[in-house]
Amino acid sequence: MSAPRLAAARLIRLNRRSRAGLKRTGAVLLSLSVLIALFWAEATAAPPLKWLRVHGLLCAGLAAVASAVLIARRRALKRAEFARSWLAAVPVRASTVRWESLLIETFPAIAAVGLLAIVSISYVLVLAITRSSDIFAPFAVWATLSGGIAAGAVGSFLVPQPKPVDLPPGSRYVPHPRLQRAANFRPSLSALGNWPIRQAFAWAQPKIISRAIIPILLGMPLGTTADAAMVAIALSATIGALLLVCSAVVSASRSARRWLAPLPVRPDAVIRAFLLPACAVIVAAGTLEALLLLVFNVSYRTSAEVGGCTAALGCLTASVVVVWNWSLRTRP
Amino acid sequence: MNNPVLEIRALRAGYGPRTVLENISIALAAGEWFVLLGPNGCGKSTLLDCVVSRLVPSGGEILIAGHSLRQAPFEAKRHLGYGCAPDVLPALLTARQCLEVHAAAKGLSVIGDDLLMLADELRFTAYFDAFVDMLSLGTRQKLAVLLALVGDPPLIVLDEAFNGLDPASALILKRHLRVRIERRGGALLLATHSLDIVEHYADRAAVLIDGTLKHVWPKDELQRLRAAPGDFEAALAEAISTSAL
Repeated sequence: MSAPRLAAARLIRLNRRSRAGLKRTGAVLLSLSVLIALFWAEATAAPPLKWLRVHGLLCAGLAAVASAVLIARRRALKRAEFARSWLAAVPVRASTVRWESLLIETFPAIAAVGLLAIVSISYVLVLAITRSSDIFAPFAVWATLSGGIAAGAVGSFLVPQPKPVDLPPGSRYVPHPRLQRAANFRPSLSALGNWPIRQAFAWAQPKIISRAIIPILLGMPLGTTADAAMVAIALSATIGALLLVCSAVVSASRSARRWLAPLPVRPDAVIRAFLLPACAVIVAAGTLEALLLLVFNVSYRTSAEVGGCTAALGCLTASVVVVWNWSLRTRP
Repeated sequence: MNNPVLEIRALRAGYGPRTVLENISIALAAGEWFVLLGPNGCGKSTLLDCVVSRLVPSGGEILIAGHSLRQAPFEAKRHLGYGCAPDVLPALLTARQCLEVHAAAKGLSVIGDDLLMLADELRFTAYFDAFVDMLSLGTRQKLAVLLALVGDPPLIVLDEAFNGLDPASALILKRHLRVRIERRGGALLLATHSLDIVEHYADRAAVLIDGTLKHVWPKDELQRLRAAPGDFEAALAEAISTSAL
């Protein structure tokens, strides 16, 4: 085996595809639907395309920064993972390790450029068929964005090597419960309610938050005051927390189902224990969102509507997922 | 056998179109330690998954303390304690919280002193407030076994429960389980590759090969094997190989 990591990644992808039942006809159908969608969106896509061409330099710069940050992070992560992987002790030539690592670490950039190329070619085809003017505009946008992505990928290797990632256990970022006397047990399902919140804390590591703030700051127009920037960051953090809690409910309820399957536990009790704290957090986040919108001079009514809708949507999603998981469990 | 703690009748199970277990029938009496042996991939864990309702069998019946797992799962599970694999334990809960959830699920208001004493003997008490993802494999394994014993269930089901345990802890646990099932009048179903357990602790043992029970050693046959001159493990291993053929 000359490039074990790449070979393993390829096999995993093939297995996933066969397990998901994806076939070539499916890919062809998907491509056809993309083409049809492009035909349908041809008129509406023209103004954004023009905007992208006019602000080509800005877009390329943003793509370069995003690409550099993501690839530097991915490089540190992949190296830490490889050091602990099942392939770590496989003998591979140094030159193979170098190009294999290069491909793996820059894979998102390569995939993005490839995906943009496919979309551009498809769109050029659509423009050619509809006999629109300036049919090469998509290529120009592709070249600008791809140039930015490629420059970012190269730039990520020029910046100092990021600190090695130590892949800590998730509980490092979770508030620790108070220590108790050894024999002090209070049987209760309430710990299940803490689980999704802790999972959200474990995912929201400080490094990830700091990296998420960078694009928010870059996306702000020049002349934005510090107050407005703070509110925008708080708003983004609130929405991010909401998404994290909802995803954590999905993940934790699935794991809980595996763990608790052999126990004589009533599904309604588990659902209640799971949902009450998570929904309380979601409602609090929705309220905070409404308050922050008020600070942005949005009307009382609109703020309340947006906050209420967000909270309702979050609670509904979490409830549906948990109920679905536990109703599956009780099926014969 | 009068009122068996566990009764498996003509069990058939598998994954999708693939049948893993075929026509399995076992009955475990009170006070009995039953060991399930067999090569890797023969269906031991699948059988245990069916018994603890993590997998729905395609045919047959499982009764725990007289309650059908299919028709009265709640009642059946009240009499069951299962030591899950350490990787199934929730990473972000503490050991204490895991025990509290199990105790609440079984409707207990307190956790028994005997369980806390066992935790102390296994040197687990210091880890009660540690998150599961911070525990070593052996410590997680201890937690999984402690969870199986919450509520002193009549039927204990353990899958490779001694993996990762240090020899002293493994010995404490084996002796504790032997005393517990005799005192409680319960039964223990253990899937393992450790033939020393069959030699020193088991009342009966069975070998599962390609999803069918090839041979069951009753108590007297095991005693005869133990009493016979020579190496018990070698004799048992040979008997398993013969069954496989």
